[in-house]
Amino acid sequence: MAEEDKVKRCAELVEKSKEVVREAFQRFKPDELAITWTGGKDSTTALWIIRQVCLEDKIKLPKVMTIDEYDSFQEIHDFMNKWAKEWKLDLEWCRNDDVIKAAGGKLGAPVKVKDLNKRNQAELKRIGFDQDTFPFEAESYTGNHLMKTVMFNMYIERHNVKAVFQGLRRDEQTARTQDDYFEKKEAAHLIPEHVRIKPILHFTERDIWDNIMINKIPYCVLYEQGYRSLGAKTTSQIAVPGVPAWEQDLEHTVERAGRRQDKEQMMGRLRKLGYM
Amino acid sequence: MKNVILLTIDALRKDVLGCYGSQGGLTPFIDSLQDKCIRFTRAQASGPYTQASFPGLLTSSYYLEYGKPKGLSPKRTLISEPLKRAGIVTAAFHSNPYLCDYLGWNRGWDAFYDSMEEEVDERIPYIKGNVINSQVDKWLSSYTRAGEYKPFFLWLHYMDIHEPYVPERKYIDMVDPSITISQNQMYNLFKDVLLKRDVSDEGAVKLLKKLYDVHVREVDGYVKEFFAILEKLDLLPNSVIIMTNDHGDEFGEHGGLSHDDKMYSELIDMPLLFYDPARDKGEVCQKLTSNIDIPPTIVRLFGLEPVANFQGCSLLPLEDYPEKGCFGEAMNQRSQRGGDIEKDSYFYREQDLKVIYRANLDKWEMYDLKADPKELNNIIDTSPEAEELKEKLRPRVRRWLVK
Repeated sequence: MAEEDKVKRCAELVEKSKEVVREAFQRFKPDELAITWTGGKDSTTALWIIRQVCLEDKIKLPKVMTIDEYDSFQEIHDFMNKWAKEWKLDLEWCRNDDVIKAAGGKLGAPVKVKDLNKRNQAELKRIGFDQDTFPFEAESYTGNHLMKTVMFNMYIERHNVKAVFQGLRRDEQTARTQDDYFEKKEAAHLIPEHVRIKPILHFTERDIWDNIMINKIPYCVLYEQGYRSLGAKTTSQIAVPGVPAWEQDLEHTVERAGRRQDKEQMMGRLRKLGYM
Repeated sequence: MKNVILLTIDALRKDVLGCYGSQGGLTPFIDSLQDKCIRFTRAQASGPYTQASFPGLLTSSYYLEYGKPKGLSPKRTLISEPLKRAGIVTAAFHSNPYLCDYLGWNRGWDAFYDSMEEEVDERIPYIKGNVINSQVDKWLSSYTRAGEYKPFFLWLHYMDIHEPYVPERKYIDMVDPSITISQNQMYNLFKDVLLKRDVSDEGAVKLLKKLYDVHVREVDGYVKEFFAILEKLDLLPNSVIIMTNDHGDEFGEHGGLSHDDKMYSELIDMPLLFYDPARDKGEVCQKLTSNIDIPPTIVRLFGLEPVANFQGCSLLPLEDYPEKGCFGEAMNQRSQRGGDIEKDSYFYREQDLKVIYRANLDKWEMYDLKADPKELNNIIDTSPEAEELKEKLRPRVRRWLVK
């Protein structure tokens, strides 16, 4: 695509996102809203756009939450701290310290269910986990629930959040192609009621990078080293070493291929299918 | 050169398809393709469940060929590997955890989507066929956008027929609007009847089958939708599409439910259709064929040299396909976890005669599928051919122990 076409396309994409953000501010007060931020390219783009709208419309920027899954990159922490300060964010780090303590702070260490507090024990029961121990891994079936979902739920409850902004893209999570920009989550088995707002749903991975370059949006240095998708430190892998993410063949290869898969994730699926 | 597409449908029984004689009207779209298809009437899966049959479908090798099964052995050649080496673009889209990245099934694909990163509901614990289609649509659109492109091999797999059977109302209404139970009740049937393999209540088993049928009707719609995508992208005229299952499903025919380690027709009989838009009429092939023949056929369709590691034979051209017997094998999945790995079973079929051997029970069975298609009358002690067939199966028994 020619440079001026890219600029035009990105302006249109951002404009559409801003409409979504403005609608969110129509529906909710700034205090009822929160922004989820991982330090990755997508949520940083979403945050940047929301902040633009707040600056333009003189609205208070909603609070920002991030989940610290413990198994995380120092580079992402540094990046987020730098920009939290620069952008004066009301940023809260959510971390399930009880699980970390039970694992002795060691990744991969076995966590005894009986060493956990009542809430975490109840949460394990809720997801149907009935064994005595599990390994401490943020992206395992159990780890993901305790370190991410539970932390998210607690944040929502603690701050009476009615709606959260997410940096989700349609082309990344195609399983959710039916989703709209505003997705109401009813209070259910594993989540409290809230609305998910996805202002950058219509961006592709390529659009994200074009827009980052055009609007000089900051990004984490790991993308320059060849990471395409950032998750937990031990399960994220460089997609193409030494080739910055935006120079890779984004159209014909899979974005998440850089993340190692997890055995428990597979076992969780198999159990649901009636195996094991 | 044409593109080749392999479309597999998990747990699809052969006998629910109209083109194989069902009167249920569950597969109107697939049935409508028959004048452009070769329909194989005696195709056999090489195993009765996903892990046992997919080595045949994608690596032309048997489940127990390379020792005790765990993950995809590096000694197997995945169909994607030789194709990719030959410059053919390869893409896979599925949602079966037994075929995921973690277990090694991602080798050799230019694009590989196994959905393992997605959140799924316990009632629909996989990515639905319409979403697989939209993934495929996105990839095909992007890949073929430039107009000039290298031929591709695409494999897509639908999970929607697999239990739990909790179909949506709109599909129920298409099949049997008299079914009024709620999704909760359907899920309870899964937990209380299917998972317990409890066939004592005939009504419950019938209802499970009905819900299964509804999913078949649903998947026929996804196949239709997939063909529409190919048509939209103008890919239909230059693609050959192989449609089949990995295994069937049982509804009490031999005292069980779902698909365990049994070797009877409800699990082993495969629907197998080769759709080629260039055909001027449909054709029926009655030769005995195996799913291990599919990878060599794909290699042949791309005009490549045979792959030494493949154990099957190309099904095309039909007249060159040799007359041969078919093998299959399995190992009781439930006992694997408990450490008892010796509940392995095997079958061998020649013409319409089939022998089955359960190694842990040291028990032989034999059926004449022509006279006794339901496999209820064990003729192992009376058939004059029994000894000959047993001799052919014996060398395969427990061969994985020494490897």
